Order: sequence, then C-alpha cells, then structure tokens
Amino acid sequence: MDLSNHLIIAPILLPLLTGALLLLFDERKHTLKALLSVGSTLLLVAMGMVLLRVADSGTASVYLLGNWAAPFGIVLVLDRLSAVMLLVTSLLAIASLFFSLARWDKMGSHFHSLFQFLLMGLNGAFLTGDLFNLFVFFEVVLSASYGLLLHGSGPHRVRAGLHYIAMNLAASFLFLVGVALIYGVTGTLNMADLVGRIGEVPPENRFLLEAGAAILGIAFLVKAGMWPLCFWLPSAYSAAAAPVAAIFAVLSKMGIYVLLRLSPLLFGAAAGSSAGFDDKWLFAGGLVTLAFGTIGVLASQAMVRLAAFSVLVSSGTLLAAVAMSGDRSTAAALYYMISSTLTIGALFLLIELLERAQDPAAAVLSVTMEAYGDGDEDEPEEEVGVTIPATLAILGVSFGVCGILLSGLPPLSGFVGKFALLSAAIDAGNKISTLNWFFFGLLITSGLFAMVAMVRAGIRIFWAPVEIIVPRVRVIEFVPVAFLLILCIWMTAQAGPTMRYLDAAANALHDPTGYVHDVLSAAPIPSPKEAGH
Amino acid sequence: MIESAILIPLVTIPFVVSLIALALPSNARNTEAWIAGITALGLFILTAMQYPAVDDGGAIRHNIEWVPQLGLNMTFRMDGFAWLFTMLITGIGFLVVIYARYYMSPEDPVPRFYAFLLAFMGSMLGVVNSGNLIQLVVFWELTSVFSFLLIGYWYHNAAARDGARMALTITALGGLCLLAGILLIGQVVGSYDLDTVLASGSMIRGHKLYVPILVLVLIGAFTKSAQFPFHVWLPNAMSAPTPVSAYLHSATMVKAGVFLMTRLWPVLAGTPEWFTIVGLAGMATLLLGAFFAIFQQDIKGLLAYSTISHLGLITLLLSLGSPLGLVAAIFHMANHATFKASLFMAAGIIDHEAGTRDMRKLGGLFSLMPVTATLAMVASAAMAGVPLLNGFLSKEMFFAEAIEHHADSILDTAAPYVAVLASAFAVTYSIRFIHGVFFGKIPADMPKHPHEPPFFMRLPAMLLVLICLVVGILPGQTIGGYLNSAAMAVLGPEMPEYSLSIWHGFNVPLLMSVLALVAGILLYGILKTYLATSEEGPPYFRELKGQRIFERVMVSVSWRWARLLESWLGTRRLQPQLRLLAFIALVAAVLAATRRGVPHPTLSLGNMDLLFTGLWAIGIICAIGAAYQAKYHRLYALILMGGAGLVTCISFIWLSAPDLALTQLVVEVVTTVLILLGLRWLPKRIEQNYDGVSLETRLRRGRDMLLAVGCGAGTAFLAYVVMVRQPPQTIADFFVENAYELGGGRNIVNVILVDFRGFDTFGEITVLGIVALTVFSLLRRFRPAPDNIDSPEQQLLQSRHTARSDESEEAETASIADEYLYMPSVIMQWLFPVIIVFAFYLFLRGHDAPGGGFVAGIAMAAAFILQYMAAGTRWVEERLRVLPVRWMGMGLLVAAATGLGAWVFGYPFLTSHAQYIELTLIGKVPAATALIFDFGIFSLVMGATVLMLIAIAHQSIRKLRAAKLPTAQENA
Repeated sequence: MDLSNHLIIAPILLPLLTGALLLLFDERKHTLKALLSVGSTLLLVAMGMVLLRVADSGTASVYLLGNWAAPFGIVLVLDRLSAVMLLVTSLLAIASLFFSLARWDKMGSHFHSLFQFLLMGLNGAFLTGDLFNLFVFFEVVLSASYGLLLHGSGPHRVRAGLHYIAMNLAASFLFLVGVALIYGVTGTLNMADLVGRIGEVPPENRFLLEAGAAILGIAFLVKAGMWPLCFWLPSAYSAAAAPVAAIFAVLSKMGIYVLLRLSPLLFGAAAGSSAGFDDKWLFAGGLVTLAFGTIGVLASQAMVRLAAFSVLVSSGTLLAAVAMSGDRSTAAALYYMISSTLTIGALFLLIELLERAQDPAAAVLSVTMEAYGDGDEDEPEEEVGVTIPATLAILGVSFGVCGILLSGLPPLSGFVGKFALLSAAIDAGNKISTLNWFFFGLLITSGLFAMVAMVRAGIRIFWAPVEIIVPRVRVIEFVPVAFLLILCIWMTAQAGPTMRYLDAAANALHDPTGYVHDVLSAAPIPSPKEAGH
Repeated sequence: MIESAILIPLVTIPFVVSLIALALPSNARNTEAWIAGITALGLFILTAMQYPAVDDGGAIRHNIEWVPQLGLNMTFRMDGFAWLFTMLITGIGFLVVIYARYYMSPEDPVPRFYAFLLAFMGSMLGVVNSGNLIQLVVFWELTSVFSFLLIGYWYHNAAARDGARMALTITALGGLCLLAGILLIGQVVGSYDLDTVLASGSMIRGHKLYVPILVLVLIGAFTKSAQFPFHVWLPNAMSAPTPVSAYLHSATMVKAGVFLMTRLWPVLAGTPEWFTIVGLAGMATLLLGAFFAIFQQDIKGLLAYSTISHLGLITLLLSLGSPLGLVAAIFHMANHATFKASLFMAAGIIDHEAGTRDMRKLGGLFSLMPVTATLAMVASAAMAGVPLLNGFLSKEMFFAEAIEHHADSILDTAAPYVAVLASAFAVTYSIRFIHGVFFGKIPADMPKHPHEPPFFMRLPAMLLVLICLVVGILPGQTIGGYLNSAAMAVLGPEMPEYSLSIWHGFNVPLLMSVLALVAGILLYGILKTYLATSEEGPPYFRELKGQRIFERVMVSVSWRWARLLESWLGTRRLQPQLRLLAFIALVAAVLAATRRGVPHPTLSLGNMDLLFTGLWAIGIICAIGAAYQAKYHRLYALILMGGAGLVTCISFIWLSAPDLALTQLVVEVVTTVLILLGLRWLPKRIEQNYDGVSLETRLRRGRDMLLAVGCGAGTAFLAYVVMVRQPPQTIADFFVENAYELGGGRNIVNVILVDFRGFDTFGEITVLGIVALTVFSLLRRFRPAPDNIDSPEQQLLQSRHTARSDESEEAETASIADEYLYMPSVIMQWLFPVIIVFAFYLFLRGHDAPGGGFVAGIAMAAAFILQYMAAGTRWVEERLRVLPVRWMGMGLLVAAATGLGAWVFGYPFLTSHAQYIELTLIGKVPAATALIFDFGIFSLVMGATVLMLIAIAHQSIRKLRAAKLPTAQENA
C-alpha cells in the first residue's frame, strides 16, 4: 500500500494533527498558529481537488481502518458525493479562515484548533461508511461547532449556544437510539452491509427497523433544520461570529448529506417492503421548511437573521428535493446545495463588513420608512448623482452578486440550480403530483421574496443613508468574499461539466450496487505471517 | 457557422465595454460617452450588415453548449423580427448616449451610468436575439436588474429609490412567472429551443397545461410592458434620469413584453383565452393610459402614461390573432419607439433648460427655443396620429383591424369605439403638451430662463423626428421591406396582403381618424382651464395612488404578515423546541412502528431476579427523583443522579461487564465531583409557591408528563423487544471470536476500543478534548453572578470562628485545608502518589483485563482534583505546573502517530501489532502497538478532565476579584 492510498484518510488526519499540534503552542504565537492552520486548510483544498479526480473514476475507493475487512472494521468510502462535499467544505473553510485572520481568531482561545477539529469532523462525516462512526464524527462536529459558536463570547452567544447544544445533544441521543435499534435488528453498522441485511430482516422485526430509522431520521432532520425542529438554527447562526457562521453554512448540509446517502441505502429498492419509506413526510416537511424560511427571510430586520433564514430556505429546498428521490432531482439538489452553501457563506462574511458601514438606527428606520414614507417625498432634490467610494462600490457589487445568487435570479449559479430543481420537479412524466406543484410554486415564490428582502436591505445599506460611512475593510477580509462569489460564477460558467459530475454522483447514489460491492469486496492487506504461507 | 458567430460579440460586447466603463474615473465623461457611443454605433452598423441574411424569412443561428443535460444552451438567433429590434436598440441606444453626454451634469459620476446603460443594452440584445427560451428569461431578468440600477441612479432621491424598487419587484415577479411558464412549455414540448417551440404551436394549444402556460407567460409580458394592472411601476420609474426614460421606457425595456408576445404569437395566440385575456388587458391599458395622460402635470408623467396607452394599443393588436393585426403591431412598435424617444429627449431638454417639468409652471417656450419646440411638435403629432407621420400609418392599420370581426365577444364589438375614444384622448394630451409648454404666456415663476440647448443635445431628437417624417411620407420605400421581413419572421411565408401608403381612399379608418382628431381637439378646449391649475393626476383616480397602494401591500405582505407568521410558526424559546423534538420523535417512531402492526411480546415474570429488580427499582426512583428535583434542588438532583449511575454500574457488573462497570464508576465519580464544584456558581433559584398554580399551568404540566411517559414507555418497550428476541448474526460475534487471535488481547471490550473500532475511540477522545477546550473558553470569560460571590454559609461561619481566634486577615483567601477540613485534606494530599500508581496499574493491565487508557486517565485526573480540593487552587498551581492543554495535544498526536506508524509497514491507519515482552521484575507485559495508542488516550483524557477542573477552579480566584470590584467603585 503506497502513500497515495492513504490520501482518503488524509482529510481527517491532517486537520486533526494540525489541531492537536496547535494545542502545544501558546496562545500568544498567533502568527505561527495562523500559518499552520492556513497551511493545513490549503492542503485540504488541494486534497479535495485530487480526491475529486480520483472519485470521478466511478469506483468507490475504500479505506479499511486498522486493516479490518468490512463489515467488521470501520471503513472510509470515497465516492463522487463525498469527494464533492470534501471539496466544498475545504473551499468554504479556506475563505472563512482567511477572513478570521483579520481579527476574529484573536477574540478568544483556541480558535484555530477548534476550527481544524470542526473540519476533521465534517470530513470524517462525509467519508465514513459506518453508522456508528458517523455518530462519532457528528459529535466531533457538534462539540467543535459549539466551541466556535461561543467564540468571541457575549451573552447572546452563550444564550444561542445553549439552545444549540441542548437541541443537538437531544438529537444525538435520538441518533444513538436509532443506531442501536438498527444494529439490534440487522447486526451490522456498516452502511454497505446494511443494504443486504435490511432485505433479510424478517417481517416480524421490520417494525423495529422502521421505528429505528424514523428516530434516526428525526436526528438528521434536526441537523438539517427541518421545520419545526429548526428554531434553534437562525438564532445560533446569527449569533456566531462571521467566519464561524460562514463555515456553519455547510453544517446544516451535513444532515442533508446523510439523508441523501442513507435513504437510498436503507430504503432503496433492495430494502424489500421498506422501500421508499419516508418520502412523503420528508417532502411535506421540506415544503413547510422552505415556506418558513422564506417568511423568516422577509421578516428579518437584521441582515444576519436574513442570512440565517436563508440557510433554512436552502435546507427546505434540499429536503424536498431529496424526497423527490429521482436521479435528476438529486443531481439538481447537489448543484443547488453547492451553490447555496458557498453563497450563504459569502453572505455571512459580507454582512459583517457591511454592518461596519451601518448606522445602528438605520436598521430600525428602514422598515418604518417603508411603511409611512419619509415625509419629504415631494420636495424636489438635486438631480446629480453621488460618487461612491471604492470600498463601498466593491462591497455593493458583492452584495448585488450575493442577492442575485440567493434569490436565484439569472444568470448565476443560483439560477442554474433552481432551474435544474424546477425542471426536475415537473419532469415526472405526465403525472406530476400535487406536492411537486407546490414545490414548483414555492421555490419560485421564495426566490421572489428573497429578492424583495435583499433589495430592501441593499437600499437601506447603500442608497438610503444620507451620510455614507465608509467601512474599514481589510483586503484579507474582502478577498474571501470575492473568492466564494467567484467560485459561484465559475460554477455557472462550468455548469455543464459540473452537472455531468453530479449526474454521475446522483446515479451512483440511487443505484448503490456498485458502492456496496466496492465496500464489501475490499480486502485487507495480508499480514506478513499470512503472506509468508 | 463562422458567420453566425457574429451574434456572440453583438450580445457580449456591451457587457465587456460596460466593465471597462465602470473602471474609468468618475470625471471621465467624454471618454465614457465616446466609448459607449462607438460601441452602440459599431453594433448598429454590424447589425445593419447582417440584413441580407435575415431578409425573406432567413435567420442566423449560433449555438454554444452550456448545460446540455438540462436543455440549457446559449443559442443566439437573429431573424427579421429580432433584426428590427436590434436596430432599434442599438440605434436609439447610440442617440441616447449622445444625448446623455449633454444631459448629465458634469459632477455626475457617469461611469456608473454608462456602464449600466451598456449592460442594459446588452441584456436587451440578448432578449431579442435568444434562440433558447431559458436564455431569453436569463436576459429578461437581467434587463430587470439593470433597469433597477438605472432607475435608481439618483438613489439619494427617495422617489428614485422607491421607483426603482417598485419596477424591479413587479418586473422580476413577472420574470419569475415567465420562467415558470417557459418551464411548462419545455415540459410540454420537450425542448426550450425557440424553433422547436415555434413548430409545436398546436401541441401547446391543445395541451391541458395551455391555460397555465398562457397566464404565466402573459404575466411576464404584461409586467414588462406595463399592461393594466401592472402598469403602476412605469410612471414611478420616471424618477430616472431622462436619457434612461428615453431609452428604457420608450424603445427598449417596455417593448420587451410586446416583443415576447409577438415572438410566441404563433404558439400561443388564436385561442379564445388569448383573445380574452390579452384583448381585455390591451383595451383597458389603451384607454386608461390615454385618459390618465391627459391629467398629468409632469411632462414625463404625461409621456409615461402615453407610453402605457400605446403599449396597450400594441397588445390589443396582438390579441386579435389576425396576421394583419400582427403586422400593424410590429409597425407600431417601431414607430412608437422613434417618436416617444424623441419626445422624452425633448422633455429632458425642457427640464434641463427651464428647471422644471411641471406644465403649470411652463409656457411660451416656443419663442425661446423654437427648434426644440418644432421637434417636439412634430413628434407629438406622430404620437397623436396626424397624417404624414409614422404614427398615423400604424394607427390607420389599427383602426382597420379594430373594425374587422374577429370573435363573437363583447370585446370585439367594443374595439372600434374604444379605439376612437383612446385616439381622441391621445390627441387631447398631445395638444395639451404642445400648447401647455410652448405656447401661451411665459409664467413668471419659471425656475430658469431657458434657451436652446447645444446642437448635439438636439441632434438625437432631430434624427428621430426625421425618421418619423420620412417613414410617415414614404413608408413603402423606407420601412416597407424591413417590416415585411420582420413580420415574415413571425408569421412564416404565408404573409397577409397589406399596403403601406398614406392614402387608402375615403374609408372607415380615415373617418375614425378624423373623428378622433376633432373629438380630441374639442376635449382639450373643454378641459383647458381645468388643467391649467388642477392637481397631478386625473380627478377621483388621483386619490388612488398606485405607488401608495403598492407600498402598503409590500409592507403588509413582506413585513407585517411575515413577522406575524414567523412568530406564529416559530419560537425562540428552548423549552417548546425540546418539547416539539420529543413529541415529533415519539410520533415518528409510533407511526413508523405501527405501520405494519406491532407484535405483542410476552412479558414473562417467572424468571425474574428479585434482587436485580429491586436494584433497578432503586435506580428508577433515583432517576425520576433527580428529574423531579432538578429545577429547585440541584444538589438533591445530583445526588439522586449519582444513585442512578451507581445502579448502572452494578448492572454492568451483574451482566459480567466489569470493564464497563469500572469505566462507568470512574466517570460517574469524576463528573459528579466536577458538577458539584460547578454547582457552587450557579445562580440561586427560589422555589415558587405552589398554591397559586393556574389551570393552564396544570394542563401544561400534565401534557409534558404525558409526553415524558410516552417517550419513556416507548423507549423501554423498544429496548425490551430488542433484548428478548433472538439476536441476529452480528459483527459482535466476530469480535468475540477474534479478539485474542487477531487483536492480541483478552479484554474484548478493550480490543474493540483500541483495535477493531479504534477509529471510533480516536474520534471520541477528540470530542472529549474539544469539549474541554469549549468548557475552558466558555468559563474563561465567565464571572460569577452577584449572589454567588459570598462564600458559602458554612465557610463563613468557620472563617468568623478562625478570625476570632487568631485575627487572621487572610481568612477569606485561605484554602479550606487551613480551616475546617484539616485531616481529610492531609489524607487527600498523601493520596496523590497512590492514585498515580493505581492509574499506571489500570493502564498497563488494560489490554487483557478491565482497565485501559481511558480509565487510567480519569483516575489520574482524580488525583489532581483531590489536590485542588484539598489545598486550593493557588497552593496547587504554585507547586505544580499543570499544562493540561499540552497533555491533550500530545495525547492526540501520540494516538495519531501510533496509527500513522502502520503506514511505514504498508498498512492502513491504526493497524495494530501485538506481542508480549519480558520486563525484569514485572514479568510478561503485553506490548501491542495498541498500548501506545492507549497512552495517547490516557494523556488526552487526563488533560481534558484536568482542564475542565481548572476552568471551574479558577472561578474561585475570579470570585475574589469580582467581589472586590464593586467595593472599590463604592469607595471611589
């Protein structure tokens, strides 16, 4: 086994080692810590790209931890879906890490270690092929994200953090109950092994399996933020420091990822009478979440809450798309997921920069001004435009791009994703279900309302103030925002190749025979003794 | 193919130049005008050169793949119709650029203006030259976005902001509806390609989705072309700079809607639904627009409503479904673009020169600026449909179509009357504009003294007026051929018979024209005095302000209702959230389980062990008691929890799992101690009086109890069912069989933890480490609540006693060791080395017998806890340099390094190797690589636990600082 085979586990080990190494250094060695952290994250991006190539060969690469064959040991599995998740995570991470270097990383202790541990947890969750190991990585993510959420301190962070940790610990408990039940019935924890074992579960035990799966599902839905299990999410995300909120954009996608990964494995065609078990509920839940998120976006006075509710909009859309469980809808969902994750990440970062330009009273005024008019409308004003300072102009362009991406207006990737979802929703042959029509309508409406909210906020920030406060923005803070937005633009231009990749990923997800075969047939390396025989 | 590629630069160049324009300095107004002008002119010439290819029904196509999987391609396609529009967009665009150079103030930051204008031009070119309907939607929405930016160019004016937002909201709403409609078309036809769609007209009209498609597409077109009732945005968009109005609201943006209706005319038109919806909207818009225009005081407002009315006229023509009507519609689109653009330019000149656009403050300008006045008069005449001008020709065609019979409906019968009435209104407002501005007395309160503008400011309007005249006099020779190929592009080879000439003999349309002219003049005579002083807007209707209504609706829907719904559908409190979670999990599990019926497991009490049952009864009582006391009596709750934990430990031993029992016991002890230490700093909670509990509270508690019982019973039931049934073949069997053989350890649990599933352990110790870091950083900034600053009562009593005996002033700061726990504290200190040895022992025996790194780590941490408790934080930290964070880091690194070691031998991460080695004195010791891994665990667990301990312990140091702070302030 040469070194390149170990590349699969590297996205877990590298941040872990970095995080641990950083613990050995004193808090005062900022530069060293930052350098190590950035170096590790940059390497992760590089690895993500290489692994994406590897995964695109079509076979799932399997890594047997401890050299134990599946299903006895723990396996890591790299396929197209996990590879793309790794890459998205690393790209988002490098952006928020750079952003944090301007000031946030010094606002509390162990920022870089926690950040690296979070990456380790995320990468592990995307790579693992074992249900209990998934739980472990969920715990890593949960504890690290809690630490990061509290970063920067302050009563509102502590408060939001309490809600966050309480809800998610309860969800973890449900996760354990669910896994225990599934293990109790099938006798295995390996995801690939489960496919065959579930088919063999005798009918009298099916109710245990399905109860277990339902409880497990609830745990993931809390993570993904489905209504009505999502109320902790806007408060937590809007309380977090900007770079933390940005990386959190991928956190809720972890729940979606697991649903995408597990539902075809557990309840695909091989599941016998349990096939297609929970789709309707998931679909309805997704729709309500989408609606709730949209309402929240509209009702948000503070920009951060707007962004946080956008996370819910994205979650709701994805849940409904996952529930449609077709090849096309899944591919569309993946594209949408990548685009919306990067967009929301960029938005969280951007908001912090914009809020420096804000008169705190303006936020309150914007809505009342809209409601009652500002009194002096009839007075003719001078018809000469205002010259915009360069910083504000650049921020304005970014904000515009963000708004276009978020509301899914053409021509950027937000539109492509939404378009793909819409066309998948009404592509069910001649019979299109009522729920699909609802989804179709809601998705379009949510785009409109997102635009209304973004325009309101944009006018408030850039157009309404009489006196313009030019925010002090450092290059290192702006570059990450631009980087994420450019990624989205790149995704738009490269929509064809991206879609091809995601189509292949979706196909492999819905037909897991290849995945199962690759995992279960991976042979351990013979020990020297055995090799000698 | 190469030649067709010319369409790409045609659409993309404006965007590229737009970016260049944006980069120029804000005072580079001449450079800006030059590059924008050259771009527009160049594109105009380029387009003109393409005419041979699109003549006689020909088309240029160029396809670029974008997302072929979704049918999303960039198909540029230019036919005669698109060519005509491209000419209008580039030609008028060029003139607007020249005009704007003189219109915009020198202080204006024009780069932004020209950049947006060019980008808008590119978007419009994209709309008209799209061969893929989705691509059309893409550019369509871009026109909305750039028009928003253009209308809001003077964003420091509230009116500009509001107008821009309104335009964007309405047109983007329409754009999204259009997108939905196009998606449905794609679903029906199976392609978004324009040619394919145009060929599938009958398929679409026959489909059951036809009506939704029609409605959605029409909403898109109506919003863009300001058809009733979506017209409200257009008058408000007049707060844009006048060049923008001249461009967007005459020639381009508003024409996109009618362009789309014409483009899809072969597919969608000709049905009763089309006739009714489009006809009704067109007629209402035509009439209301013209009527409102009469009563406007703002010149631009008058022109805006006139635009609305003319767009209604075009829509009405399109609704008829007759080929002749379509030809007339296309003709009128071109005519209206020319005369309206020139009128807006004239309005801008007047505003520029006189300082106002209010007709009540204007008058007699003919004597001051005769050239401009002449231009405006000719253009107005075209607008009113006076013979010898282009407006007359298309209006005649409109009249001719209006009297034709198209469908048996009241709409069709009403059409001629509406046409005459609206034309009469058009005559009235045209005269009103000319008479009110250029004739009569010069009002004394005119803000500026006007004179003729620079020649180049007049030139664009002059050229446009010239076109109006030439087309009006020699229609066949000038526009004839182009109109023909444009109409042919839509209608195909079967073109209707029509003749473009001024004189068709005495016929009904001419009579109608004369009637309208006379009625219009008469109407102006009647209204003249009223209009001279009246308020803005038509009587009665002026109270019904479109903008106000829009704003109210927006605020209600997008703010009040949204807030209400959010608070109704959501909560920000934790308790309801947890309740919901429990409830939903319960319901989901019950629903899932009962879907196919749950078997009744037999509960056999025969083989029940009384002792074990009793033990569990105690455990259950403890657990329930803990929950019951948790709110007001934390200490009781904690002790009861300890009881429940102890029962769990005993159960493990009972069920022959000494390893688990040991771990559980140590964890229980240490966590209980840590919580006890932390309990000290929690704010006090005073038990409330139970007598006054309201019914509501009782109900709430009852509900919560039901939920709790349900969840508990459900979980217990599931656990019971799993435990009493025959277990399946599990991976655990493999572990039991192979732990020693392959894992090199007799303690199966330990082998599972450090070998079979070592990666889980690795993850979990990371979790522990992170939790410790989090606890530390959470408590680092924590200050005790004011009511906790005082030392506990017992301690105070003791200190008072000590103070009395030896007058020590340090009583407050001294540790408990000096005070009332002297003997225990000595023992605790002495225990330090003993526990260390014990931990070492636990660690070494781990692989074969109960023990291991985890237990050893916690035991080691217990040693530190005892020291802190016995001697106090200061005392310990003065003597011992405890660096828990380093221990944690090192632990993780050691564990990882062990795993990585396997790489050297070519094995995957965490592959272990086991053997025994002989040590002198100690004997045979297992030396699996897992032992080193276990050491990593030990180091991390110890570090993490100690870090949490320190975080709590330091509260007592901070307490003193916090206590001193307020007193210091009081003194000051």
